[in-house]
Amino acid sequence: MEINFNINGKTAKVDVDPAMPLLWVVRDELNLKATKFGCGAALCGACTLHIDGEAYRSCSIPVSFAAGKKVTTLEGLSESEDKLHPIQQAWMEENVPQCGYCQPGFMMAAANFLEKNPNPTDDDIKTNITNICRCGTQPRIIKAIKRAAQLSQTLTA
Amino acid sequence: MATEDKKTTKKFSRRKFLQRGAIIFGGTVVAVIASKGPIRRFLAQKAENMDFPLLVSTQEPSFWFEVLPDNTILYKSTKLEMGQGIFTGLAMLAAEELEVSLEQIKVVHANTANGVEDSLGTGGSNTTLSLFKPIREVAATLREMLKAQAAKQWDVPVSSIKVENGIMTSGTHKATYYEISTSTQEWETPETPALKPSSTFKYVGKDVKRIDLKPKVMGKPIFGIDQTFPDMLYAVMLQSPYIGGTLKKLNTQEATKVNGVVKIVEDNELVAVVAKNRYAAEMGLQKIEAEWDVPKKWQQAEFEALTTVGLGTDVRIQSEGSPESLLEEAPDQVFKQEYRTPLATHAHMEPHGAVAHVEKDKATMYVGTQASTLFRGAIAKAIEVETEQLNIETTYAGGSFGRRIDSKHSEKVARIAKIVGKPVHVFNTRTQEFQNAIYRPQTHHVLAAKIGKNGTIEAITHHQATPDQVLGAIPANIGYTLLGADFVSAGHGASILYNIEHKSATLWQNKQPVHTGIWRSVGMFPNTFAIESFINELAHKTGKDPLKMRLELLAGNEQINQRYKTVLETLAEKSGWNQPKAAGIGRGIAIGNDRKSIAAAVIEVAIVNNQIQVKKVTQVLDAGLAINPEGIRMQVEGATMMGITAALYEGLTIKDGQITATNFHEYPMTKLSDTPEIEVIILEGHSEPYGVGEPPLAPVAPAIAAAVFDLTGKNLRTLPLKLS
Repeated sequence: MEINFNINGKTAKVDVDPAMPLLWVVRDELNLKATKFGCGAALCGACTLHIDGEAYRSCSIPVSFAAGKKVTTLEGLSESEDKLHPIQQAWMEENVPQCGYCQPGFMMAAANFLEKNPNPTDDDIKTNITNICRCGTQPRIIKAIKRAAQLSQTLTA
Repeated sequence: MATEDKKTTKKFSRRKFLQRGAIIFGGTVVAVIASKGPIRRFLAQKAENMDFPLLVSTQEPSFWFEVLPDNTILYKSTKLEMGQGIFTGLAMLAAEELEVSLEQIKVVHANTANGVEDSLGTGGSNTTLSLFKPIREVAATLREMLKAQAAKQWDVPVSSIKVENGIMTSGTHKATYYEISTSTQEWETPETPALKPSSTFKYVGKDVKRIDLKPKVMGKPIFGIDQTFPDMLYAVMLQSPYIGGTLKKLNTQEATKVNGVVKIVEDNELVAVVAKNRYAAEMGLQKIEAEWDVPKKWQQAEFEALTTVGLGTDVRIQSEGSPESLLEEAPDQVFKQEYRTPLATHAHMEPHGAVAHVEKDKATMYVGTQASTLFRGAIAKAIEVETEQLNIETTYAGGSFGRRIDSKHSEKVARIAKIVGKPVHVFNTRTQEFQNAIYRPQTHHVLAAKIGKNGTIEAITHHQATPDQVLGAIPANIGYTLLGADFVSAGHGASILYNIEHKSATLWQNKQPVHTGIWRSVGMFPNTFAIESFINELAHKTGKDPLKMRLELLAGNEQINQRYKTVLETLAEKSGWNQPKAAGIGRGIAIGNDRKSIAAAVIEVAIVNNQIQVKKVTQVLDAGLAINPEGIRMQVEGATMMGITAALYEGLTIKDGQITATNFHEYPMTKLSDTPEIEVIILEGHSEPYGVGEPPLAPVAPAIAAAVFDLTGKNLRTLPLKLS
């Protein structure tokens, strides 16, 4: 079935099974590899992306759900590699990743969370972001989200 | 290797390192070991502090470095970047001798095609130590080769040439490394130049951000699972959901009807659904009807009972004085406890898999592996090409923790590609990651001590029952037969380091129906939990402060003990050990010695809704020379979080022949909500770097257990720690 949606500001047209998880469409049909496969059951958050401004775990969302909507992956989060989104900027400044595999999902979850909670406490962050990282970057992720909140406020001030 | 003595390149010859490797794996040496207890003990002690050899030729700088047209240096790393930050540390070391800025060094994984091989792979927290001197020597050799060539062309003495940021000058002469490197085909390799003294280091010892930061923040396609070939197909393998299960009956009729499925590969034990996309491959797999021959449907209790002190072969790996007779003589003075750690898995976030393209007389694979060289020959054989015709491109790994030492799955991926005649992308589902893994072995420990009248510990014995972590990987049972027990890995850390006159350590080795293997910090993880928990209990029993008691037990002048004492004294001060605790807080301590490093932690916990919550962790690490303190802090933080998972959550159980965990909801791990305040203190003052990735993990679980006891009076002796 042909499905159309917007991906990172461009039109995507795919001809796939409408039940195919959006994750595989994004990764293998559209060749955008930042969105990761971790569990296939919406448990780890490695596949987090945005659909119409909401964060979704794309391994468990059929591509049909995205039809006519606006999908953003990590590749589309920043304006350019020189002008980073506050989340990615903060991730650089806090030197967050280790293996790096789960980080795109964390950054996408955090970017969406910050839009709704522009000035979060540690507890807000700990309760709302439930992705999994095995390397143990959690302490830096918390710091980076708070730093990103500051960076965003500086940008909008 | 001994890093003190001055060497020329010749001394790094392959033959020499192969000889060193023979300590454990060579035929003639091993043959002597069979029934000799003392020799085994000697080897066990060697293994405790093993200098891992390096099997890379350092005679050919071009294997390691390439000068690129923009005058940057490409370093082809034989070591896998799996998150530990090794690319950054190695680039820093290379930059010191190459006289270039860190930004001028680009690190990539070496592939097997260009001849760079490292037979031992990446692991054992030994990379920085094993390469500390060689990488600088090769870098210095390359620099001198370029300088010599420039001197020849300019007709000036080599000593007149100055180098800065890869640009050579002498009087009015000026040229970049690249210009000189392309000016001739004939090169002379000089004797290895003297290395820069550490006082002139530009990068070593400074905080440097990881050099792979930007690609990881931008989500670049750097992992194995991201790799593609034109016209590539996707496959998922059928794997037994039962321990020891073999395929009995197969019906693939419905699977072939799934839209997008191209072929069902059936080749002896190998069954895989190949499809146009991953979704179709997974749907096809779900439609396969398979029946399994299961020799025995294991249940948890009987599986756990397999690993029990007293069962299997026993090997005494430490024996000083006569602890057994002292314990026997005074049963009323004996204090004895048992500890258990469970079967567990690596649960790295990128599942296992590979991408393969097999052509006629040529094959290429992308694998995130800790040891490509170990499996290259077997893969080549399986797809009937010469080893030299198979190129393995190592990719960044999405976590590993020891799991990717074994890359046997790559062989099956290559076979699928050959059968299908097209490139294939084959990665596990998460359920397969849990049910078809190589596991951290379960362990059982019995510790006993004789407490003298004045509360001194007169004798101590430790028995550890454990399946192996490496013996199973050595062909034809040689490991079991000759070594008797896996003291290299599974029994690592079983010996008692404390200065107690009479002490012994014994390993009980059993085979298991599941494949057990290397897991971050290997035997040091269960052994530190058991020994340090026991020491904490002994302190309570004898009415001593656990930190002071350790200092007492370390009396002596050996260097390791002095380092221990410094670590403990620093820890006492930084953690506020002697300050009063807040209400509702318990505090515990533990220390471990691994890969020449010493790591100790004081941990504070609270009980919230009947759950143990870690509030604060103070870790002191003496890892020798700190090449990149920022990188070390990241590793300590990571090891602490993984240690909390291991202490509070993780463990696999077995029911009706199956591993019960099918996904992360049945194998919980730390989340942001589990993050405590973590303070990392790095001690320095050494001339060479020791291991960093593994040592800080070991003290976490016993320190948490001690903190829980401090708060509740309950001694929890089984991992994961549960209050009820």
